[in-house]
Amino acid sequence: MGQAALVAAAEPPLVRVDGFVKRYGRRSAVAGVTLDIRHGEIYGLIGPDGAGKSSLMKAIAGVLSFDAGSVEVFGTSLVSEAAAELVKDRLGFMPQGLGLNLYAELSIEENIDFFARLRLVPAAALAERKERLLAITRLAQFRGRPMKHLSGGMKQKLALVCTLIHEPELIILDEPTTGVDPVSRRDFWLILSEILHERGATALVSTAYMDEASRFHRLALMFDGRVLAEGRPQELRRRVPGVSVQLRAGRQAEALARLSSRFAQVQALGAWIHVFAQDLDAAAADAEIRALLDDIPLDEMSSTEPELEDVFIASLHQKTAAPFADPASGQSFAAVRPAAADGAAIEARDLSRDFGDFRAVDSVSFSVRPGEIFGLLGANGAGKTTCIKMLTGIIPPTGGEGSVGGIDMRRAGRAIKQRIGYVSQAFSLYTDLTVVENVRLFAGIYGLTRRETEDRLAWTIANGGLAGYEDETAGSLPMGLRQRLALGCALVHRPQVLFLDEPTSGVDPVGRRQFWQILFHLSRVEGVAILITTHYMTEAEHCDRLALMYAGRIVADAAPAELKRRVAEEAGGLLEISASPVLPALALLRGSGFTDAALFGEHIHLLAADADAAGARLHQLLSQAGMTVGHIGRRPLSMEDVFVHYVTRLERGEAMQ
Amino acid sequence: MKRPAPRTMTLARIWLQQIAVLAAKEIRQLLRDRALFIYTVYIFTANILIAAGGASNELRDAPVRVHDADRSVASRDLIYSFQEPQFRLAGEVDSPTEALRLLDRGEAQMVLDIPSDFEISLRRQQPAHVQALIDTSQANIGYLASSYTARIVARYSEPWVQRNIIRAGGDPRQLPTIKNELRVWYNPGLDSKWFNTISELLTMVTVACILLPAAAMIREKERGTLEQLLVSPLTPLQIMLSKLLSMMLVMLCGTAVAIFGIMMPLYHVPFVGSVPLFFLLAALYAFTNAGLGLVAATFARNSAQVGLVVLLMVMPIVMLSGTWTPMESMPVWLRGLMYFSPLRHFIEIAYGILLRGAGFGLLWDSVLPMAAIGVALFALGLARFRRQFT
Repeated sequence: MGQAALVAAAEPPLVRVDGFVKRYGRRSAVAGVTLDIRHGEIYGLIGPDGAGKSSLMKAIAGVLSFDAGSVEVFGTSLVSEAAAELVKDRLGFMPQGLGLNLYAELSIEENIDFFARLRLVPAAALAERKERLLAITRLAQFRGRPMKHLSGGMKQKLALVCTLIHEPELIILDEPTTGVDPVSRRDFWLILSEILHERGATALVSTAYMDEASRFHRLALMFDGRVLAEGRPQELRRRVPGVSVQLRAGRQAEALARLSSRFAQVQALGAWIHVFAQDLDAAAADAEIRALLDDIPLDEMSSTEPELEDVFIASLHQKTAAPFADPASGQSFAAVRPAAADGAAIEARDLSRDFGDFRAVDSVSFSVRPGEIFGLLGANGAGKTTCIKMLTGIIPPTGGEGSVGGIDMRRAGRAIKQRIGYVSQAFSLYTDLTVVENVRLFAGIYGLTRRETEDRLAWTIANGGLAGYEDETAGSLPMGLRQRLALGCALVHRPQVLFLDEPTSGVDPVGRRQFWQILFHLSRVEGVAILITTHYMTEAEHCDRLALMYAGRIVADAAPAELKRRVAEEAGGLLEISASPVLPALALLRGSGFTDAALFGEHIHLLAADADAAGARLHQLLSQAGMTVGHIGRRPLSMEDVFVHYVTRLERGEAMQ
Repeated sequence: MKRPAPRTMTLARIWLQQIAVLAAKEIRQLLRDRALFIYTVYIFTANILIAAGGASNELRDAPVRVHDADRSVASRDLIYSFQEPQFRLAGEVDSPTEALRLLDRGEAQMVLDIPSDFEISLRRQQPAHVQALIDTSQANIGYLASSYTARIVARYSEPWVQRNIIRAGGDPRQLPTIKNELRVWYNPGLDSKWFNTISELLTMVTVACILLPAAAMIREKERGTLEQLLVSPLTPLQIMLSKLLSMMLVMLCGTAVAIFGIMMPLYHVPFVGSVPLFFLLAALYAFTNAGLGLVAATFARNSAQVGLVVLLMVMPIVMLSGTWTPMESMPVWLRGLMYFSPLRHFIEIAYGILLRGAGFGLLWDSVLPMAAIGVALFALGLARFRRQFT
């Protein structure tokens, strides 16, 4: 722990929340949250949609009344609107939604000026701060550009500048990184750290991404209006004892079933199986798994410290195995596949799409085999949805060809559409119809007979975990159930090709895992070809194959493990460095040729060829500069590292041309 | 592994079944959309009642102020000729200035100014003058007030004229006069409730027929369910037909409630013609307007926009198609333009069947253009439907 943190701990907290309760009508959004935020730290709220993060943040920002408990900011208790007004000058609040607080028609500079005048920033101070913030965020050269023409990452940086223009002591950022590409996300975290450090300010940041936990000094895991666990990221990971085991075995579906009988958290990640062996150490887990697998050949196995998501789910004491993950149940539901299933189920050839002058998708090519889960990974605006819309025949491509089962989607007739299932963004269900009515509607649309309809309805209710919700309207269901209902509706006609557009956005980790289990079953047992898009980097590991999309192009296309292997080959292994003070250390490393060095909370991550030798060299480099070096250790590459590597390489290549 | 049951249904049956499933869904959604449902019930019920009882363009109880400088028997007779229901004597004023002030403040519709030599002039067989000052800021009412006044004054002077003829030695019975024998047809009681409720119904049917399909379509567009339908084996024609048929059904039910539940029992509006013919042509009218609504929905991105677009379409259609004002009083170019308004033709049909008992033989020249407009609009909507996604 750094010296600054020790000092900070002694001070009274900047924000003190005690027994906070917020209800909307009869629904309880936050049910008794207690936490402290200390001066100078980046405090994180991590949790899925509906966990209560936004309500809590709005209350701390003084813009939302609450029902019970107390909220104290800068020592002022926010008991009334008048009290809230006292603190508002000293804090900045950035609401959820990419650039939603900005004005689309105004330029970068006009947006900043507007917020500055709103906050009564004196002209001289405004001029100075604006230049400084524009320089840090590297937005200065685009200052005249209207906000609507900025990329997602740039909008987010502009929103941050506008939130900071009155130099608040506390900044509250509600999901600032959701849907932002990983490169911009890294950039955003660095800028935030620099500004906070420079100004001695404090930040409260929420996120739905579990893998962002390491960005925070301290954090609270939220679920269903409660805090499951609170503390430093490393402490939280150790909160639930156990190890995380990755293994590859023959007869994957069978192996999965056997492991599920013993362990609560088992999931298939592409060709791999991930097991969280709670309460076991590495050796014991190894022995138990080998015993369980018995005659199933084990190709590879390794164990690491648990992921935060494992801890999160373990804290909920929930079993995540869905009933149909068990292939032995014998229930089977896909259509009998035609003999021609060997060819590509989905194929994109030089697929392009322009919207006016803007090229949303640029010569994208890939193919998906039957029984394969293919992922399109990318930020909002990378072109994933446009790709899916072209492949499902919703919009025609500007160039190239998209085909399903060898038939061009532009000329797709009834027969081919009968073989496609599609779940669009935000689960486009009829929210005012009940669960049963939705399923029956889609059964009718696909021309199912009455008997088939009843069969499929029973299947959807049973396997979607929707029993007891039959007569609820789809709009009143929790996200996880809604998502499985949407999947059930898309599967009602037993399609052989399934398109899923960000089906897991806003769904909690338990729901996400259950969802992936259904997809795994569909692909492995039923042979359904699945094309799925996501902006969750960690989710990409579930796919058999992955295409990374950036600015309309595919920058890499391979199995997740293969992608990681290639990056390791090209750029080396990932090192985690803890050095103090961390920001100068980062600057030093970046200046010494490690241009991809990134800040993760109190640590620095960088890629180095021959990592072990590099570790010693880095230690020397930092020590010579008079910095305290904690530890330097290897970390497994994450999909985010892979993504950032490919995108920066691409950008570098373009810059040279 | 279970194989799907062999398909016994023919493709045509599936095609129709898909439309039926979607149409049933539309009606269910309308019933659950509380705001839209209440609105739909309101326009076919309470709104008709309000139209019958309220808005009227007749002259009723117009306040008349009198400045009587003569104060004679003759002047009193004239004053009391201004009677209800058209007029209401609201009292006397002392001076013409006072009278003008009341006119200015809208407290008098008319001021009757009788000079001090009124009776003397009449008795001396000289022309007598009265002045009527009429507030015509509402042109229609003012026009009615002035013509009623002219008629009252003329009737009042008739006995004086006869007396003068007799006095001059003539026989007034031998004077050539024209006796006007009026026969009021189709609305013998001249009951404006008939006209008002039918006009209101036609207006509301127009609004409902444009708005409901447009709302149904935009709802799917906003929530992204439309894309779900596009990916399914449904054709755009099926999607549009399902919206059209369901909303047509809603509109026909509403019209039936309004006519048989309110207009006929409460206001004795006649239904002279054929009931099936009326509802058949009402369905055709719904089809035509639904085409307009569906075209509007392809241009709008959300409910707010479609509301505005529909408002822009409905206003001129309702104002200019002859619902509230006769077509004949409009300039020729506008009349020509309004030939393309479906409502203009449906007005002929509705009044024709309801009040005059007209059959298809009389109405075909309204039916054909309306059907042609409907087919054209529906085709345009269908063409726009695909293009809005590209």
